[in-house]
Amino acid sequence: MIHLRNVTKTVRSGTEDLTILSDVSLEIPDGQFVALTGASGSGKSTLLGLLAGLDSPSSGTIAIDDDEITTMSEDGLAAIRSEKIGFVFQSFHLIPSLTAFENVLIPMEIRGAKDAKERASRLLEDVDLTNRGHHYPTELSGGEQQRVAIARAFANRPKILLADEPTGNLDSKNGQHIFELMTDLHRQNDVTLVLVTHDQALAANAQRQIVLKDGRVVSDTING
Amino acid sequence: MNFIINLTAREIRSSWRRLLFFFLCIALGVGSVVALRSLIQNVTKAVGTDARALMTADIEVSSTNDFSPADIEKIEDVITASGIVEARNEAITTSSMARPIDPTNENLRLVELKGIEPPFPLVGSFELDNGEPFDHRLLEGNGALVAKILLEDLKVKVGDRIKIGEGEFEIRGSFDEEPGGTGGFRLGARVFVEKRAFDDAGITRNASRVRHRILYRTSENPTPLVTRLRESLKGTTVTVQSYRETQERLGEQFSRTENYLALTGLLILVLGGVGVWNVSRAFVEQKRKSVAVLKCLGAGGNRIIAVYLLQILTLGLIGSLFGVVLAQAGLWFVRSQFAADLPDRMSYAVGSSTAAQGIVLGVLISMLFSALPLLQVRNIKPKLLLRDENNESLRRLDKTKWLFGALSLLGLLVLAAWQAGSLTVGAFFLIGLGATSAVLYVSAVILTRILRSMRPMGNFALKQAINSLYRPGNQTRIILLAVGLGAFVVLAVQSLQTNLVREFDFTRNQRLPTLFFIDVQKSQIDQLAALIEKRIGEKPETTPTVRARIAFVNGKPLDFQQREVRQMQGQIGREFAVTYRQALDQNETVVAGRWWPAGEPSEIPEVSVQDEMAERLKVVPGDSITFDISGRKVTVRVANIRKLDLRNTRTAFIFVFRPGVLEKAPQSYAATVLSRVGATERQRLQREVIGEYPNVQIFDVADIVATVQRLVNNFVLAISFVGSFVILSGILILIGSIALTKSQRVYENAILKTLGAKRGTLSAILVAEYGILGLLAGFIGAGFAAVLSFAVSRYILNIDWEFDPVLSLAGIAATAAVVLVVGVISSFDVLFRKPLGTLRSQ
Repeated sequence: MIHLRNVTKTVRSGTEDLTILSDVSLEIPDGQFVALTGASGSGKSTLLGLLAGLDSPSSGTIAIDDDEITTMSEDGLAAIRSEKIGFVFQSFHLIPSLTAFENVLIPMEIRGAKDAKERASRLLEDVDLTNRGHHYPTELSGGEQQRVAIARAFANRPKILLADEPTGNLDSKNGQHIFELMTDLHRQNDVTLVLVTHDQALAANAQRQIVLKDGRVVSDTING
Repeated sequence: MNFIINLTAREIRSSWRRLLFFFLCIALGVGSVVALRSLIQNVTKAVGTDARALMTADIEVSSTNDFSPADIEKIEDVITASGIVEARNEAITTSSMARPIDPTNENLRLVELKGIEPPFPLVGSFELDNGEPFDHRLLEGNGALVAKILLEDLKVKVGDRIKIGEGEFEIRGSFDEEPGGTGGFRLGARVFVEKRAFDDAGITRNASRVRHRILYRTSENPTPLVTRLRESLKGTTVTVQSYRETQERLGEQFSRTENYLALTGLLILVLGGVGVWNVSRAFVEQKRKSVAVLKCLGAGGNRIIAVYLLQILTLGLIGSLFGVVLAQAGLWFVRSQFAADLPDRMSYAVGSSTAAQGIVLGVLISMLFSALPLLQVRNIKPKLLLRDENNESLRRLDKTKWLFGALSLLGLLVLAAWQAGSLTVGAFFLIGLGATSAVLYVSAVILTRILRSMRPMGNFALKQAINSLYRPGNQTRIILLAVGLGAFVVLAVQSLQTNLVREFDFTRNQRLPTLFFIDVQKSQIDQLAALIEKRIGEKPETTPTVRARIAFVNGKPLDFQQREVRQMQGQIGREFAVTYRQALDQNETVVAGRWWPAGEPSEIPEVSVQDEMAERLKVVPGDSITFDISGRKVTVRVANIRKLDLRNTRTAFIFVFRPGVLEKAPQSYAATVLSRVGATERQRLQREVIGEYPNVQIFDVADIVATVQRLVNNFVLAISFVGSFVILSGILILIGSIALTKSQRVYENAILKTLGAKRGTLSAILVAEYGILGLLAGFIGAGFAAVLSFAVSRYILNIDWEFDPVLSLAGIAATAAVVLVVGVISSFDVLFRKPLGTLRSQ
């Protein structure tokens, strides 16, 4: 379960304070597939970053299960991410100096998992990249890089998968493929999936759709 | 732990090219430290440590006078009572003029003559050029063994006869190395004759610079015996030393030299450290996203720092190992180029402990200089994956960075103290380096600011080139600091050399004689002066000289049992040539007390002491010094302390007596001439004088100047060699810095090309940028080199200093050329990149 209570995020822009999120309160139950939508600058990515503990709110609290993450240290947050959260970015963010296989391996090595290599191979197989494991990110297409990123996100069997416009840098065919991959993995592994997207068609496939505007939740609906 | 090791291995695999400069910086630094330390250690091993062989005995009892019967009795009493002496011999040394008997051969040379008796040597061995061991029978019946160089100088061969003093000797053999002959500066080549022949040839009769020695070989530690001998001979002019003290003194000298050279190596290593710091800083900036991803995936800051630290330590270790290989290659290079000037049996191998020391240094320097940049990893936030903000926070200094900065400085201090063998010297090194770097850096900042204000001027390429020096993340000031420091060292040494050589150029010193004639007897001086005047048309200046040794200072004997006094034995325990005169010479100034007035009779004998000697003896006007003059003790009052201007000197006396004391003492004369006559004429005059007065010794100043110039040149060559390593470090930092800002240059060029700039324009920008950078570095180096050379010349060497514009301009031009060539070559490929690919990837 993810709990957000009166979360506000303000940043300094030049000489002025700019409010990106304003008094957002949400509860996302385990296993739910949530689509976060809204125009550019509405605060979607910021909200996702706060959920992952990549940044801290200016006020309000965020809890994952019973762990209040807003007061945690950097290393404490890193441990929570390692254990519970997978993240997929729009621009993939693979480590360029590592091969695809090693990129998938990294989260498990950070956590000290025992069967890391076998699982990394299996995950690459799941995303249909068995033969591309020894390639570096620069040698992979955008779609392939995003599939590696998804495999990496699932490496530690997270309870929560956060995806920030994962299809935004891909063509429609590859985008569709990635989306299906994520939703399949979400179903198979019963993870909470929070997807930030501009694409209304993709959002319509989610169980719940939250719309943000100027940093506020303007709509929160359960899709039939 | 697995994560740290695995990721380190993968990172090294993929990033080693980017860290190549890191590796090279460390390798060059470690290579310098190891090569310099090994070189001096090997020289020490080859010549210095075997003091016993140098002395050819265990104990040496020596005096510049013949031993008096009372002295002999004291010595023999102590020796007999000790019961540890196995063997004994006597030797006598002096310098004299040698010339071939053959009248058609006009050569002549000053030689260092040594009269010996069997058994010789007491310690060590003596092998002749023909491979035969030394046999004393070779010297019997006026035989002589000569250094090989003398055969060449006099154009004689084994079997020929030569005249030394009034005696004739047959050359029975030659040698390359003599026992005890490797240390010290010597004016003439060594010649061995029988001790008895010395007296027969009348060489010592009127000669100065004579030393009588009694040598002993002992069966046990000679130290207690030396102490007893010194005690028994207190108050006499006889000195006693054991090979252990010589060894100790030599050991100290060598270890001091070794430590100073090691500090020079450390300077290069610290410059390498600057390169490491630079590379690490840029490396962390480049790795920002990877670090953010790792943090996003759950890795803590400390674990990530551990990954990069391990990576840097691994590269530091490999770089250090490569440095040891470089050091070995350097030593082989030294052997190929300078073997003739170095001891024959010297090893050119890197010592294992030196290598280990170098490796430890390399790894520690890698760690110290990368610690601060690596700490920036802590400040990298994973949120930059969502929104890439500027990385100002990375540069901010927080408490931890201050702490680590202080720890790094402390670490450097420990390393410097370790290398210098002294905390004080280490601290001075670090402060000196810090101050020099700060001054160079501030100059770089000022110069670049001035340049910036000139930006609106000039053509497009020049304007762009100046702009390039200010691009974000530019390395301009670091390059100026590093290359400027290299140019500074090399140019300062060159400038010092020019001034030193000028100092010994006697054509500039109108009062420096061309020929010195010494040991001229009172009965000979007028005739000699007339002969010289007849030959070269100049009446020589003649000065009476008396040989004297210091016996007591303020009534107390010089106590050579004391270590501090013993260390000055060479300066204060020797025999001095003293003179007496009424007037102060024109190159002298009284700095304390007053010069004796003309015409007033002296109530008590007085002496004037040169300022440096007064400092050594700790005497002031009013104190007393007792001299031993031919066995008689003469006590005089110090009337004044005198400063000597050596730049404007004809003769330089440490002690000058007030007239009325020495007139009746046994004395000889020195004569000097100033006329600049040709080498052949000088040779003829010398030949004629020696023919007429065989006891006279002649010093041809041109020979001495040539010897000193050779020494200065070797010294300069050695320092320039080290200085070139400093330049090389600067160039490595330059190459590294270019590589770090390359992506920006590629991007700028892509935009300029898109906007219509031709390759020629881009090339002009490149040339102008590195040309300016090189000129600035050269300007900084040459400017500070002139300042340093001035300070060292005037305040340390006490010589005249002249600014050499040609040297400075050549230095600036050479530095600019090096930076230009290196910069253009390192960036040349950028000109050929297609702009589209570059713009897409941004």
